[in-house]
Amino acid sequence: MALPKRIIKETERLVAEPVPGIQAVPHDDNLRYFDVSIHGPAQSPYEGGVFKLELFLPEDYPMTPPKIRFLTKIYHPNIDRLGRICLDVLKANWSPALQIRTILLSIQALLGAPNPDDPLANDVAQRWKEDEPGAIATAREWTQTHAAP
Amino acid sequence: MAPSRSSRNSLQSVDLRALDYLTSPSANLLCPICHAPLITPVQTRCLHTFCSACISLSLERSLTCPVDRKPLNHDDVTPAPIMIANLVNDLMVLCPNREKGCTTSCARWLVESHVREDCEYATVKCAKEGCDGLVERREADRECVHEEVECAFCEGPVRKLDIELHYGECPKLSSDCRHCSKSFLNPELAAHKLICPDEVIDCAASHFGCSHSSRRSELDEHLTHCHFVALTPILQLHTERIETLELENKAIRQKLDLLVPPRPLPTPLSGTSNSNDSSSLGRDMTSEMQDYTYHLYSEYEQLRSDVERLNAQVRELDVKQDMVRFSEGLRYNEEMAGVRAAINGLRMQLHWLVANRREGVTAGAGAGAARSVAGSSAGGDGRRMSDSARQVVKL
Repeated sequence: MALPKRIIKETERLVAEPVPGIQAVPHDDNLRYFDVSIHGPAQSPYEGGVFKLELFLPEDYPMTPPKIRFLTKIYHPNIDRLGRICLDVLKANWSPALQIRTILLSIQALLGAPNPDDPLANDVAQRWKEDEPGAIATAREWTQTHAAP
Repeated sequence: MAPSRSSRNSLQSVDLRALDYLTSPSANLLCPICHAPLITPVQTRCLHTFCSACISLSLERSLTCPVDRKPLNHDDVTPAPIMIANLVNDLMVLCPNREKGCTTSCARWLVESHVREDCEYATVKCAKEGCDGLVERREADRECVHEEVECAFCEGPVRKLDIELHYGECPKLSSDCRHCSKSFLNPELAAHKLICPDEVIDCAASHFGCSHSSRRSELDEHLTHCHFVALTPILQLHTERIETLELENKAIRQKLDLLVPPRPLPTPLSGTSNSNDSSSLGRDMTSEMQDYTYHLYSEYEQLRSDVERLNAQVRELDVKQDMVRFSEGLRYNEEMAGVRAAINGLRMQLHWLVANRREGVTAGAGAGAARSVAGSSAGGDGRRMSDSARQVVKL
C-alpha cells in the first residue's frame, strides 16, 4: 500500500524542523519504522543521557497510536524492562490529531516527571515512593552506564 | 474529434487527498487528522472542522472530538459553512497525471472533471470496438495497439504494443553483443553473455578488497598472481565464522537481557553486585545447571508477565462491572422516578374525582334543601357538577 500523504508530510517536517533534543529518522526500507533518540531533560536524573527508541506506525495510523518502545535500558517507574511505556496518550487517550512529534515530546516530558502512582515497572515505582533520593540515584547511575552519548 | 472524446470518459479515479498543491495552503485549512486541505469539510458541536471522511473514521473508534476530547456523536457533526468549503475547493492543484507529462493546474473542484474529460494523459478505453485495452487519451484516436499482428520473422502472434519488445527476443532475429559486437541469434545471446571474452569484469575476490578489473580473456593472468584470490579460502572461512558467532552472540544477548536483573533489586548497588554474583555462580555451575537456571528464569519471567497481564484484565473487568452496575442503577432510578410520577398523577386524579363526587353529593343535597330558597340557579349548578363528574367517570 502506498504511504499516506500525512506520514510523508510528518516525516518531512520532522527532518526539516526537528524538535530540540529529539531525533527521528525513518528506515530506508520501511518508511513506517523510525529510529528515535531522545535527550534526557535537564534537571532530571536522565540529564546527559541519550535514549534510543523504536517507533512504528501501524497500518491504520493515525486512527491508532504509533507503537513506541525504549531500546536503551532506563530506570523509570513508567517504563518496564522491555522498554514498554505507560503513557495515556499512547493508549486510551490517543487522538488522531496527535502526531509523532507531539508523542515524542510527551515521552520527553514523562522522563522529566516520573509518575509512580501509575506504574508499569512495579518494583521501580515502589522504590520511587519509599526512597525517592535512592531511586533517583539509581536512575542517574543507569543513565551513565546505559545511555552515555 | 470532440464528440468521440467526450464519449470516451476516463475511468481513472482521483484521490483528492494525494493531490499536490500549487502553493502550500494555509495551515488553517488543513484537516487535523489527515493534514491535507479539508475535503468535504464538516464542523463539530465544539466548533472544530474536519474532513467528513476523517471524522467519521475517528468516531468509529472513539466518540470524542480528536482536538479537545469532548464527547461527540455522529449527530453532532454538521456541514461546515459554505465559505470554508469554497475556500478549499478553490485551491489550485496540479494534475495527478503530472508524472506522465500533464502540466495542467486548476482549481481543486475542477480536477476530477479535468481527468475524466480533458487530461491528455488520463487512461481511457481503447477506441476499437470490442477491445478491452487501456491507452492514454492522446493516443486514443490512433489505431488500436492491442490487436495481434504476425511477427515478420518468427510468424508468431504479437500485440502491436509489444512488437518492439518482441524484436529484442524473437528467436529468429539476431542481436549484437554489447561488448564484442559479434552477432548472435537471440536465444544464444544469453549464453554468450556469460563467456564473452571482451566483457570487462571484476576480479573474483573483489568483495574482499581487490580493485582489479579487466576483460574476461585477460583476467586469468591476473588471477594467478592476485594476493586476494590466494587468501580467498581462509577469508571465506573467517567471514562464515564471524557470521555464526554474531548470530550466537545476538541470541545470548537476548537471553541475558531477559535475565539481568533477574530479581527485583533489594539495594541500589545490587545492580553491580548482582552481575558479580551471577558470574561467580556461573563459574561454579556446570553448563547443564546453567541451562536449567536459564530455563527456570525465562519460565519465571513468562509467568510474571502472565500474572501482570491477568491482573490488569481483572482490574479492567472490575471497572467494567462497576460501570455496568452504575448505569443499570441509574436506569432503575429513572424508571422508578417515572413510575412514582405516574402514581402521583393517578393519585391526583383520584383525589379530584373523589372531591368532585363528594362536592356533587353535598351540592345536590344542599340544592335539594335550598331549592325552595335559592330557586333554579343552584339546581342548575348541581346538575352541571354532576354532569362533569359523570363525564370523568366515563373517561
